[in-house]
Amino acid sequence: MNSTSSSRNKRGRTKFGGVSPHWIFIAPALIIVFAILIFPVLYSIYMSTYDWHLFYSSDKKFVAFKNFVELLKDKEFLHSLWLQFGFVVIALPIETVIGFFVALLLNRDGKFYTVVRSLILLPVFILPVISGLTWRLLLQPEYGMVSFFLEKMGFGVRAWLAEPDFAYGMVIVQDVWRMWPFMFMFIYAGLSGVPREILEAAQIDGASFWKRVFKIILPQLRPTIATALLLRLVDALRIFSEVYVMTGGGPGNATMLLSLYINKQAFEFFNIGYASAMGVVLLIIALGLSFFIVGGNIKFEGERG
Amino acid sequence: MRRIKKKLLTLTIVVITLAVLIVELMPILVVISSGFKRDIDIWSKGPFYFKPTLESYKQVLSNEDLLISLKNSLFVGFISTLISIVVGSMASYGLTRYVFKFKETIAYMFLSFRMIPQISLVIPLYVMFSFLKLRDTLTGVILAHISFNIPYVIWLLLPFFAAVPCDYEEAARIDGATEMQVFWKVFFPLVSPGLVVASVFAFLMSWNEFLYALILSSVNAKTAPVAVNGLLGQYAPKWGQLTAAGTIMLIPVFVITLTLQKYIIKGLVSGGIKG
Amino acid sequence: MKRVFTVIFLVSILGVILAAPYNTTIRVLAWDDALTQALKAGIPDFEKATGIKVVLELIPSGNLLQKIGVSVSSDKTDYDLVTVDEPFIPSLAHLMMPFDRWGNGKVFKKPPLNVFAPNAFEAAQWGGVFVGMPINANVYIWITRKDLINDPKNKSEFKLKYGYDLSVPKTFKELRDMAEFFTSKGIYGFAPFTKQTEGSTAEAIFMFEAFGTSPLTADGGKVVVSLDEKKAVEAINFYKELLKFAPPGALDMGHSERIAAFNQGKVFTMFQWPALVPQHEDPNNSLVAGKIIYSAPPVGPVKGSAIRGCWVLAMPNATKNKEAAAEFAYWWASLETGQKLIPKGFTPARADLLLNPTYNKDRPWFKAIFDSMRNAVARPRFVKYPEASQIIRNYWLAAISGKMSPEEAVRKMKDELNELVKK
Repeated sequence: MNSTSSSRNKRGRTKFGGVSPHWIFIAPALIIVFAILIFPVLYSIYMSTYDWHLFYSSDKKFVAFKNFVELLKDKEFLHSLWLQFGFVVIALPIETVIGFFVALLLNRDGKFYTVVRSLILLPVFILPVISGLTWRLLLQPEYGMVSFFLEKMGFGVRAWLAEPDFAYGMVIVQDVWRMWPFMFMFIYAGLSGVPREILEAAQIDGASFWKRVFKIILPQLRPTIATALLLRLVDALRIFSEVYVMTGGGPGNATMLLSLYINKQAFEFFNIGYASAMGVVLLIIALGLSFFIVGGNIKFEGERG
Repeated sequence: MRRIKKKLLTLTIVVITLAVLIVELMPILVVISSGFKRDIDIWSKGPFYFKPTLESYKQVLSNEDLLISLKNSLFVGFISTLISIVVGSMASYGLTRYVFKFKETIAYMFLSFRMIPQISLVIPLYVMFSFLKLRDTLTGVILAHISFNIPYVIWLLLPFFAAVPCDYEEAARIDGATEMQVFWKVFFPLVSPGLVVASVFAFLMSWNEFLYALILSSVNAKTAPVAVNGLLGQYAPKWGQLTAAGTIMLIPVFVITLTLQKYIIKGLVSGGIKG
Repeated sequence: MKRVFTVIFLVSILGVILAAPYNTTIRVLAWDDALTQALKAGIPDFEKATGIKVVLELIPSGNLLQKIGVSVSSDKTDYDLVTVDEPFIPSLAHLMMPFDRWGNGKVFKKPPLNVFAPNAFEAAQWGGVFVGMPINANVYIWITRKDLINDPKNKSEFKLKYGYDLSVPKTFKELRDMAEFFTSKGIYGFAPFTKQTEGSTAEAIFMFEAFGTSPLTADGGKVVVSLDEKKAVEAINFYKELLKFAPPGALDMGHSERIAAFNQGKVFTMFQWPALVPQHEDPNNSLVAGKIIYSAPPVGPVKGSAIRGCWVLAMPNATKNKEAAAEFAYWWASLETGQKLIPKGFTPARADLLLNPTYNKDRPWFKAIFDSMRNAVARPRFVKYPEASQIIRNYWLAAISGKMSPEEAVRKMKDELNELVKK
């Protein structure tokens, strides 16, 4: 249903004294973010071309792409990449599914549900460091609550975080526990954008619950879920504090996710040139994954315009 | 018969809700209860057996350093959220409701700035802020925070802005509204659920943020996460105080979420325009 | 009349300015805990006595190095004094001012080296030069359950089974025997440190040195890999033996777990850092408060090898407030300040405080610190210490947990250390 306006701009919008309106809206954000970050971004790329130890800054050597070549040969880096990939691919879908169904569950009126919705976000709110430490406590073999359940389920009494596979699994569990409410909140907000009539019409038609979910609700929520996944991905790729205090990257390097390795290089070994190179690689990977998620799912266009 | 069935359904939902809530909040209960336990009780059997004590809270609440840092975090959180929401929503609107070249490039540029690890950016930011005399100022921390919150808000709001049907826009224009008015009076209210989510999480990101605050602040602009991390100690954390402080830190975000929820008005965008 | 008053006024102002020996502000970066916060409380007195304004910044100790790295360079520094954990002195030494170039102090005097516990000053040494001043005496001490030793039944049963008297373990053999004995009686004999952090490196070095070998040694100006594989394997096997007498979860025990286990009365003997001792003696948090006897760690087959880990107060070369910073350092290390801080948990590096009988009455571990410090060893002194520590720790933990055979672990450790040293 197109506008009948025939002015020079497709949608009949006036320009602000020659400047297209969209620039007025985008300018503040663009200016602020650029002003703050352009130097750091360029500088960190600059750092990535140097062999640079933070305590010996005057001895830094320009090595162009050598850091990147080193990275590709660095077994620990590749291992961290693999761990990170696994983490993202396992944790995020689970968080999304749980978040979705809980959003449907709690999509009701009333003070009770308002309070529940706020309470259920507490894991997202808690300081990551405290979350990691608490999970460490919960997994204590002798008296941790989670250990208790694991024992009852037949796994015996073990130092969970000292076993590579369990430690990795627990790191994932910690994240799912902490972040599915984030997905829930986002999807819940998106749900309120679904026209009520559509939901009610489907109910009157007698469509089954699952049919409604798959044929009506999900398609409406595609952009919302895609955005939630994207935002979640951006942070999941950088997860650090929780894992650091929970396992320190161990045992060995069984839970040395990417940010832990970058942190190790940057702030334990102080090879900031090398760490910056890793940051660049992480950025490229993250962008690639984002293109994939955004795909056709997030429209940059207003609806039916 | 139908009424009973409906009541049963409602009851089941409440029960399931409570079950989900309890399971999910179990670790949070451990954190909260630990704030009231002696250290020896935290590291021993059972979450329910303990001698309650207010010692940890007393120590936390009499820690000047910590209290000031909480104040700083509140200030930084509010201002950075405010700026990010206003500026971010405008940009998000601009990116979705207009057609122009480079819009996707700009959008992805914002995204990339958000995706660069903070570790890479913190050292040059420190250099930059030292030069600009912004080190250890609340302004500096706020600027650092909006640098990642603005892109976040922009992308968060994209689907919400995109979902608004054109009819609203056109109706407003026909009524003679300027572009700004279309944005503030029509779109801004319509994306309120998105704004609520954006506000809560932008605030949270700033509230819990550690690395920038650590490196860019010193004594005057110290924020809560830095002070609370001090409780980790060189060896073993002071568990009682750590969990007490952590619990206190939960309160502002929780209150904000509770208050803002009423702005998630449902079924707003119901096809067609009434009146 | 007016003239007289003006003159008197001007003279008094001059007097005030001259009376305050300094007129400057210094910035100090230190770790955050009860001790340093107590230090903060004493600063107004320092300011009054010297006229130096002090901005004391306290941050989590795990982040100190990062802040120092960002703020201190060879020509510019944001801090006039920083605290450095001793293993990192080698990598920062080139940025810090040697101690002998520090001023003598006008208000607070520079302490002579022999005021400190013997061997403590070594913490600040690199390349034959002291690049700072140790501010606390941090070294492995050993804590043992007095009540269990003194129990007559335990005494007789032990004598019967092992042929000598039950006491605080003085050698590794005694440690093993006693650990085994108590574990059979339902108490764990020993608690290790096995968390994936620096603490495990300390344990590894403690054991290696006790058996007569060290992974890295400074030889002339260089650092060489000096690990004796046979002795290292012996050390690992002995530790594995001890692990049999440790509580469940022994393979992932950090400070919190160890303190909890000991305080609940479940452990007979183990090492501890002095800063953590007050937690064992706090009746609100420890079932064994008052029942602990402190000593230097048991001696290994070759020697005693208590690990030392002092905080060093260092002055960046680029500081513009050398004199003022030195005054603050001397004030912190002075007798009076030490006396005020000890009740807050300070472990002084000064011998006169450590051996003071009054303090030793309430704090018997002070003497243990002094004794232990005599035979203290440092973790390998090396510019790339963090990487070395990681390598040592990884293979040590893999070996003692059984994931790798001791022989293989030691070999791999040596190989990777060699690669590191070559870089």
